[in-house]
Amino acid sequence: MSKGETYYSSISLRLIRWLCRKELQEEIEGNLLEFRLELRQSEIRFSRMKYWFQVLNYLRPSTLKKFNHSKRGNMFNFNPIFTIRSLFKQGVSSLINILGFALGLVCVLFLYFHIQSEISYDDFHQDKDQIYRAIRIADPDGERSKVGVSSGPYAQALLNDFPNSIKSAVRAMPSDVLVTFENKSFIEEQIILADSNFFSFFSYPLIRGNRNQVLNGTNNVVLGKEAAYRYFGDEDPIGKIIKIDNQTDYMVTGVMDEFPSHSHLEFSMVININVLNLGGWWNNGLITYVKIETPEEANYVNSQLTNFMNKYFGDDFEAGDFRMDLELEALGDVHFNNDIMFDFAAHGNKNTIYILGAVGLAILLIACFNYVNLSIAQSFRRAKEIAVRKVLGGEKTRLILQFLGESITILLFATGIAVGLAILLNPTFNNYFELDVRFDWLDPNLLIFGGILLVTTLLIAGLYPALLLSSFDALKVLKGSKVSSGKNSIIRKSLVVLQFFISIFMISATLLISQQMSYVQQKDLGFDKEAIVLIDINNGTIRSKIDVFKKSFEDEPDIISFTSVGGEPGGFHDITLLTLPESPDNHRINIGWGDEDYFETFGVNMVAGRSFEQNLESDRQQTAVLNLKAVEMLGFTPEEVLEKKVTVWNNELRVIGVSDNYNFSSLKQELEPLIIVNGLRHRRFAIKINASKLSAAMETISKSWDEFSPDYPMQYEFLDESIARLYESEAKQSRVFSAFSTISIFLACMGVFGLATYTARQRQKELGIRKVLGATANQIINLLSKEFILLILIASILATPVAWYFIDSWLNEFAYQISISGNWLVFAISTLAVGIIAFVTIGLKTYRAAVSNPTESIRYE
Amino acid sequence: MKGTNLGEFEELVLLIVLILQKEAYVLKIREEVLDQIGRSVAMGALHSTLSRLEKKGFLESVMEGATQERGGRRKRIYELTALGKTVLKDANQQRQMLWNQVPDYALKFIYV
Repeated sequence: MSKGETYYSSISLRLIRWLCRKELQEEIEGNLLEFRLELRQSEIRFSRMKYWFQVLNYLRPSTLKKFNHSKRGNMFNFNPIFTIRSLFKQGVSSLINILGFALGLVCVLFLYFHIQSEISYDDFHQDKDQIYRAIRIADPDGERSKVGVSSGPYAQALLNDFPNSIKSAVRAMPSDVLVTFENKSFIEEQIILADSNFFSFFSYPLIRGNRNQVLNGTNNVVLGKEAAYRYFGDEDPIGKIIKIDNQTDYMVTGVMDEFPSHSHLEFSMVININVLNLGGWWNNGLITYVKIETPEEANYVNSQLTNFMNKYFGDDFEAGDFRMDLELEALGDVHFNNDIMFDFAAHGNKNTIYILGAVGLAILLIACFNYVNLSIAQSFRRAKEIAVRKVLGGEKTRLILQFLGESITILLFATGIAVGLAILLNPTFNNYFELDVRFDWLDPNLLIFGGILLVTTLLIAGLYPALLLSSFDALKVLKGSKVSSGKNSIIRKSLVVLQFFISIFMISATLLISQQMSYVQQKDLGFDKEAIVLIDINNGTIRSKIDVFKKSFEDEPDIISFTSVGGEPGGFHDITLLTLPESPDNHRINIGWGDEDYFETFGVNMVAGRSFEQNLESDRQQTAVLNLKAVEMLGFTPEEVLEKKVTVWNNELRVIGVSDNYNFSSLKQELEPLIIVNGLRHRRFAIKINASKLSAAMETISKSWDEFSPDYPMQYEFLDESIARLYESEAKQSRVFSAFSTISIFLACMGVFGLATYTARQRQKELGIRKVLGATANQIINLLSKEFILLILIASILATPVAWYFIDSWLNEFAYQISISGNWLVFAISTLAVGIIAFVTIGLKTYRAAVSNPTESIRYE
Repeated sequence: MKGTNLGEFEELVLLIVLILQKEAYVLKIREEVLDQIGRSVAMGALHSTLSRLEKKGFLESVMEGATQERGGRRKRIYELTALGKTVLKDANQQRQMLWNQVPDYALKFIYV
């Protein structure tokens, strides 16, 4: 008998022993053992399942132990019937209690899995702790910037220089190509050119092909599952020939599976990097990875990299009077190191993770407190039941067990609902937050975390009322006196304060964040972002025909203006150094390229001089326009700088104009100096179209595109969309806050509801007397609501500075921000909103107490 | 007690207990029901039928026959009581009586 077998049978037998009647145990166990033996000998499929079917089928009324409450020494001190009865009796409030807790859990589950997927980037690589990425540290004008791309020779040089430490190296270069198979062609935007050991170095999963051989041939290609399906449908992809960029044939030798978790490199296709001429040390464009076995070795290599760079770049450093360093970055750090430029990696934002974690925790707290509060409030309704039980001889331990048992049942039930809801709502959540969260219920951390959570909630929500209730003096309860203790209400009140605190915090954060977002969206950027289409210059054919392509739109009424650019506002701008001929100083400056229609298309005004002109041959590639900020930096007035010569990238340019400042990068950055060069480094077309004839204009453009570049699909986007993407993570955070603050308010209201219920019950007799003496319903509602004003005020006083601090640090991401003190009303509004919502909730509850017939409540002594 | 009428399945089980004699315990009865009648019944379900029959007084049981395969655990061997046998016989007679009244031709034309 194998170990696994004994194990599962012993679990089943234990189950039988635990649940079935004693006198039947021997027989049942014997039958099951014999049955299992037969199954094993006959080797039937699903034998384990069949066995368990029999086991579970044995659990039926005729075999189960009796839940006999009065029997001494029986382990079933807990009678589920009572639980069900009391749940139904308290109908709505128990439903609210369970659903509220479940709702909180759903949010927490979703956030947990999201955070889990963010921090498990690249976890599936076998040697993930040994993989490092080479990062260059460039130093233009003292501002150190980390750059992800390096050049071809690094990998081999590192292997040569550190033979003992670096076991292997691989180079990967992201790119995009046009792929054709028969009549299907797609632009694959995420392909990787890599060394042939790419798949043995990393552990990207392969469903077809041998890890060590798939990329051996220069003309081999490995496709992702989804990409393979796109081209070949259900046919076997291995051995199929695809054409890349309409030039070279490649044979499919492998198919990748979906990655088990996210990876910093996302790609749908891998080909051998040897098809490229990688050039020398200065042709940076690929990423170099190395494998080093221990962290100590890695530290050693890191410490030697200064010498390494001197060895290979020493002459360049001396000649150019600058230096550059190299650094190894562990694979595990890649996802959150978002200060590294040009590394093609999907970066996460650690702040977002912290914020989400905090939000999750807050919701969890609220949900648990609520549950505790409502449970305690409800348990007082059963004081009489308990008193009767005690009088009839119920033992204290048994009473405690009964209450704990009920809490466990309810909690498990709520957890079940939460898991179901989470699965059901996951697509909606993913859609709304633009995430791709996958649930992995077997995650050990989750199980531990969930276990701890349930046990703690259980202890607070179950044990406390259990102990409290079972210690009541039965006689007093039956006589109808008050059952409460002062301490108890302080605990519960502070829980409510905490809930209000979280709600007020969430509401004010939501309001301020959305203010900032709308400020960012509405701020005048200094250029026109509406109705501008950006089209990638994605192939050589169109690049060679830029002028003709542009001309084809001249007579089109719906095309207002057309420019080809390298760096549109909101897009990527290179950073370089600018020098004036008379001084040796370097000035750091952003650079972009445009043609004669650049400023007109984007609606940027000229402050002095003129824009580029089409007919002046002397303008081409020799002239530049500075923005005001750059002129300021150089210490000129706009008029003085005209006709001055400046040098950028060894090109001498004549300044012919000064443009107004405009926010060419995101509003998170201060406005920086910018030079627009009249030149040919164009990456995109920017076309201003007639906004009211959008579809007609788009049709004109794509028709013309198909004429000039029939082989390549047109890739385009709108400028306002591309600018909105700059604030994607903030927009996400804003959505998260608004969604979860709604939930937190909802949950907090439930807590208030519970507390109000409790108070009304406690003061029932007092209220009855007040009514008899002439109090109106309104007065009674006011009386009951009064204590909540204090709670809300305390919460508000506590929440305001915390929210202020939090929002202030959040806003620090932005160079252009709203002022919090100018928006102080937000805090008042949040408090007021929470107050009003709470009052309505309380009102609903206390109204009943207020209009009830006083004789009902004072009749009994 | 629900009375002493005999259900269809109960009748089958009683017959099989009779057939199996000293081997009439849940596991074997289940196999017999599966092999001869073609009905797959869980042991738990069978157990509740058997204990119902015991309650009605048609069956008796003794614990005996521990074997190696059963991990040394005894079987509950069922045996028909005198009442059980009478009831079974009565049921059979009733059936026979009814069968005898069925006209021959009534069964001849079966349109399937």
